[in-house]
Amino acid sequence: MISMRLLEKKGKKVPLLGNEAIARGAIEAGVGLVASYPGTPSSEVPMTLSRLSDKFDYYFEYSSNEKVAFETAAGAAWSGVRSIVPMKHFGLNVAADSVSPVAYAGVRAGMVIMVADDPKGWSSAQSEQDTRFYGEMFRIPIIEPANPQEALEFTKKAFELSEEFEIPFILRTTTKISHSIETVELGGMKDINNKGKFGEEPERYDNVGPGLQKQHRRINKKIKAIEEEYGEKLNKIEHSEDIENEEIGIITSGVSYEYVKEAMSKLNIDVPVAKLVLTYPISRKFIDKFIKDKEEVLVVEELQPFIEKEVERVAKETNPDLKIHGKDMLPREGEYNLEVIIPAMEKLFDKDVGIDFEEHDKKAKEAMKDLPPRKPVFCPGCPHRSTFYALKEIYGENIVHGGDVGCYALGKFEPYKMQDFLISMGASLGLTHGIKKVSDQDAVITVGDSTFFHGGMPGLANLKYNDGESPLVVVFDNRWTAMTGHQPHPGTGETGMGKKVTPLKIEDIAEAMGAEVEVANSFSQKELKEKIKELKKKKGLRVLVSKGECRLVTKRRKKKEEVPLVKFKVDQDKCTKCGICTMKFACPAIKEERKKKGDEPKYVIDPEICLGCSVCSQVCPENAIKPRKQGE
Amino acid sequence: MKFDLVLTGVGGEGVLTTGVIVTKAAHEQGHYVRGVQLHGLAQRGGTIPTYVRFGDKEEIYSPSPMKADADLIMSFEPIEAVRATEYARKDKTDFVLNTYPYMPIYGNLENVPYPSMKEIKERIKPFAKSIEVFESDVISKEKFGDIVYGNLLLVGAAISSGKLPLKEDIMRKSIKELAPREIKKNVKAFNLGLEIGKE
Repeated sequence: MISMRLLEKKGKKVPLLGNEAIARGAIEAGVGLVASYPGTPSSEVPMTLSRLSDKFDYYFEYSSNEKVAFETAAGAAWSGVRSIVPMKHFGLNVAADSVSPVAYAGVRAGMVIMVADDPKGWSSAQSEQDTRFYGEMFRIPIIEPANPQEALEFTKKAFELSEEFEIPFILRTTTKISHSIETVELGGMKDINNKGKFGEEPERYDNVGPGLQKQHRRINKKIKAIEEEYGEKLNKIEHSEDIENEEIGIITSGVSYEYVKEAMSKLNIDVPVAKLVLTYPISRKFIDKFIKDKEEVLVVEELQPFIEKEVERVAKETNPDLKIHGKDMLPREGEYNLEVIIPAMEKLFDKDVGIDFEEHDKKAKEAMKDLPPRKPVFCPGCPHRSTFYALKEIYGENIVHGGDVGCYALGKFEPYKMQDFLISMGASLGLTHGIKKVSDQDAVITVGDSTFFHGGMPGLANLKYNDGESPLVVVFDNRWTAMTGHQPHPGTGETGMGKKVTPLKIEDIAEAMGAEVEVANSFSQKELKEKIKELKKKKGLRVLVSKGECRLVTKRRKKKEEVPLVKFKVDQDKCTKCGICTMKFACPAIKEERKKKGDEPKYVIDPEICLGCSVCSQVCPENAIKPRKQGE
Repeated sequence: MKFDLVLTGVGGEGVLTTGVIVTKAAHEQGHYVRGVQLHGLAQRGGTIPTYVRFGDKEEIYSPSPMKADADLIMSFEPIEAVRATEYARKDKTDFVLNTYPYMPIYGNLENVPYPSMKEIKERIKPFAKSIEVFESDVISKEKFGDIVYGNLLLVGAAISSGKLPLKEDIMRKSIKELAPREIKKNVKAFNLGLEIGKE
């Protein structure tokens, strides 16, 4: 329903999330094919386009991973149909294998690779990768919006330029663009073309021997042409007529531009600002024009000094006395915001905003002291909690837990501590295999269903091929790509356009790869423990598929069907206050109520939070947890 | 004019959706809007602040407000209001709080008791121009059988108590358009909030 705003007509102003604006931009550009593997902070781009796929003529799919999604989009662009492939920063690593040769070959219709970086790791952990470096490596141009309005416009621009120069364009965002809201003025829609033909210009795809050299020369020429023709057109210098300070300027791009502008207004200063939109290739002419009469510049960019280095190179030739500030005043790590930028600008321009952020922060931290800490946890009713619980009962604590990317990564936190590392999609299999090859430690590999299809299958094949002593592989199958917002995957039984299809069964795939396979119901401790025990005794490649649908999806479905969930309660007469349900099982629906610290608690289940998975009643040794009667 | 609103609570409480509804209402009232909604890992039981900024375009660029500078902090979970104090300051910020606690499991694990409402208010006081407390979830449960209507009830109370400068009828329109389900109950809860906030 929220997507209805996206259907409004040209000229209408609506509040949109950056990612929604990109989706609308793609539709306005007449996109014919969308392929994506969901990854936060980019997830709402495909989610929005998936929801709207019955209203427009483009083809939409959730592909099994970003590489496949990228190839699907490139295939369409090669055949003359505009395509977009949205992904998170790490998604580009997965797709990377195909990106460089496709860039060399070029495209016939506009192709946009939308990549969302995640400074601070708000949405994804793992690393603070800076996608801009891929531009230089792949020779792919990058354009960056600063806000949702620009996200919409630059998506269209990226399609146009991609078509003009016959090269894929990266549209790069960061979390605070993708997940920020702004009043956005909508544009008109182009007709959608979703039919093309492959096979024209066969020499385009020739990258063997001399063909490769030709391709390489061609792409280098394209990058040069883009720098020359659009370097000054896309980027912008803001310099008011009655400006008070001309000697010090600010160079910035992306969301940092927004912080700089507001900081200027808060500090009541007027300084020249150069805003880069085309961050690869960076126009030397543009930089030169801005810095040539300056004494000092401050480069404001999140993460690595990508623009700063380029400014240094240009200044060396044309203004060697220029003082260049950037990472000497601002951090490489984390996200920027007003509190990060204002102190740097206060110093540089000798101004004061009137708030001592450090002092204020200290005061606020003091107020927050000794509050019950809140870290990410498994949701109430989560099938993964139950699977981890059974695994720990059988294997104990002192084993290696091969961790992976998905909701089950939350098993890293107390009281489970059953994810020793979190590296990349499907990495649990290879890493644990390597550990086992050189160590006698017992180990268990944990991987999710969507992750299994994405990057787990090659690891499983390798285990069969190279590891006679393979550790137990546990697949946490909750039927959806849950962490990113419950998108379907090959095992779900439906496509991104809502079409019902035959789901691929992980147990069948594992069996075909020569594994001994058991399937257990995630919500049955008895079944889980029996199967884990059985598999633990055996040798060779063994896979347990623990199946239990994400309870949030079940809850929504039941609500729609008007079938109430059976909630649970603690029988206070039977409860011996052993604490297993809160300390070991740790469901957020179960509370220890105390009047003050040190008091003996009363254990209660909050019926507003309980999702009726029943597993707490199975782990209670006193049989004190019972279903709650309707209306009780 | 610029109004900075911080909505805070716990992932899964509907803070995000409430933020979307409030944002739309501010927009319909003719304001330029800007803000942040966090998704992903942050949503799983963690603290999720949503920022809604509205007013004149010339004054608003950053998606998030400046620290120590919010006009209103609405907390759908009591202790999260304390965590939001970093956005508040004594001479500027109003607080509107719901009383229904969502005890984090780490409170159990680390044996940290949930503070009383009195203590929560004490902690907020040095950062607050005013503190209004409403039992919005309790009332929602009593009247509508579910705590989920407590969010819009609290928004109603914030409007009629003069803390949130949005118009009733525009908010109602926004709820009708954007509430994911149970539109009638949500509108009723909002209306009830308006009544309660007046008192």
